[in-house]
Amino acid sequence: MIDASPPLPPPPPFPPPPAVIAAALTDTIVQVKSDFRGARIVLYGAIFDPAARPGDVVVLVRGPEQPVRITRKEKVAGLWLNSRPVVFRGAPGFYRAASNRPLDDIAHFGTLRRLGAGVDHLSINAPAEQRVETRYGVRDVVVSRLGADYYVWRRAVVRLKENAGLYREDGHGVRFVDQGLFRAEIDLPAGAPTGVYRADILLFQNGVPVSTRTRTLTVEKVGFERALYVWAHDRPWSYGLASMAFALLAGWAASAAFRRD
Amino acid sequence: MDIYLPIAEVAVNVPLIVGLGALVGFISGMFGIGGGFLMTPILVFLGIPPAVAVSSMANHVAASSTSSVIAYSRRRAVDFRMGGVLAAGGVVGAFLGVELFRLLRLLGQADLVVSAAYLVFLSVIGGLMLVESVRTILRRRRGGPTPPRRDRRPVWLYGLPLKMRFPRSRLYISVIPPLALGAFVGVLSAIMGVGGGFILVPAMVYVLRMPAGMVVGTSLMQIIVTAGLTGVLQAGRNQTVDIVLAALLLLGGIVGAQFGARASSRFRAEELRAILAVIVLVVGLRMGLGLFLTPDEPFVLMSGLGG
Repeated sequence: MIDASPPLPPPPPFPPPPAVIAAALTDTIVQVKSDFRGARIVLYGAIFDPAARPGDVVVLVRGPEQPVRITRKEKVAGLWLNSRPVVFRGAPGFYRAASNRPLDDIAHFGTLRRLGAGVDHLSINAPAEQRVETRYGVRDVVVSRLGADYYVWRRAVVRLKENAGLYREDGHGVRFVDQGLFRAEIDLPAGAPTGVYRADILLFQNGVPVSTRTRTLTVEKVGFERALYVWAHDRPWSYGLASMAFALLAGWAASAAFRRD
Repeated sequence: MDIYLPIAEVAVNVPLIVGLGALVGFISGMFGIGGGFLMTPILVFLGIPPAVAVSSMANHVAASSTSSVIAYSRRRAVDFRMGGVLAAGGVVGAFLGVELFRLLRLLGQADLVVSAAYLVFLSVIGGLMLVESVRTILRRRRGGPTPPRRDRRPVWLYGLPLKMRFPRSRLYISVIPPLALGAFVGVLSAIMGVGGGFILVPAMVYVLRMPAGMVVGTSLMQIIVTAGLTGVLQAGRNQTVDIVLAALLLLGGIVGAQFGARASSRFRAEELRAILAVIVLVVGLRMGLGLFLTPDEPFVLMSGLGG
């Protein structure tokens, strides 16, 4: 009998290198000119994972923050009147959540909430309506004056923004075009606010974000539109006087042109 | 062909806006009114933010009134002294109106007050005009004699102090009623985005008892001063004047007004008043409808002054 040495255990597997995501935008500057009717930005990217583990891609695009004032119509003595307006803070002026499958299938509630992924998880609130009080002996409980209606108001903010084409959640907005290669389209409506937009591209594996890339996009008015806008907001009185002088001059010119006697 | 409005921050169709200007210009040339009461609601309906529509209309009204007042002053149909007193009131009214509008926007009640103002003023004026013009038409059909115009001037007009002579209008009255009238119209013009001719003209005829030939030209003078000031104040305080929008409307309005003025000679005065009354009534009721109907969407986003 040959004394055979016991077979060596297989070498412990190297942990595969972590997966990495890369992405870029076709345009990083969107110019708002007189013919601006919205724009389509294409985002494309790739996943590098030697182990080829299954992953999900989530793209979150946020526009500059704009406080939202919202009012509710209430029936008072047979008339529909506006309630006191409520101001929500933290609302981006533009929001897109695109993913290769619905967000709820990709990660848990808590993860989505922490990342602000999905219109239901945007961290918007109405600080002016909040007060901190002690309830049942618990200190520093945040209570909203809107009470149980708070979620109705919050949902209304999202719904109205969605109707304006400013917010959208698309569970099939990211498409894999080849092994590890993906693309997403971001449609900016004509009413998209100007400013700096931030696009976060996240790679999820097993419901956990493992890699992130951030890209920025600038939406800016250019040329004549920008000149007028800046003038009207920076020196409103001179703009007001000049535009009125222009109007009066135009009226006078019209009467001279059509003088019939 | 669309154009992006820099202040309103929306894209509008150029032929549509110019055509709207022409249509309203036609109506205003035909009836000798500014047409703001018609234009502002349509602009809002087309998706222009109400605050921008109301403010930009001040520039449009000033321009279109300038083009007509020159023709009237050539015919010596402007009482400059009366126009000056009305305009002095209008200046006070414009200041008050712009501040009131700002306050209402902060309270979130601007659109509501605008609708209510349209409902009340347009339906009252439209209703009175309709009754009066239909009566005149019926009387003429029956061939009855026109009743003598009641020339009895209201006593309170003469009891007030600070009397002033207005030679062109052949009046010797207190300056308080025209000052108050000018101020009232100034406030309305800032809130409703109108020139206010539809209130000014009847008030000058029936309350101040000015000669009919002087009324339209003089009211235009008041409107230019008030709208001119309102436009500057709206731009300075609220940054809501879109000069591109005003210029587009003006482009159509100038041409439309000329055709309207020619078309008006084909109708009798009372028939014109009856048609105008119906238009005024319909606009007023349509604007007020929102106060009574259950809204599809109970929540409304408010533009501007973001908190």
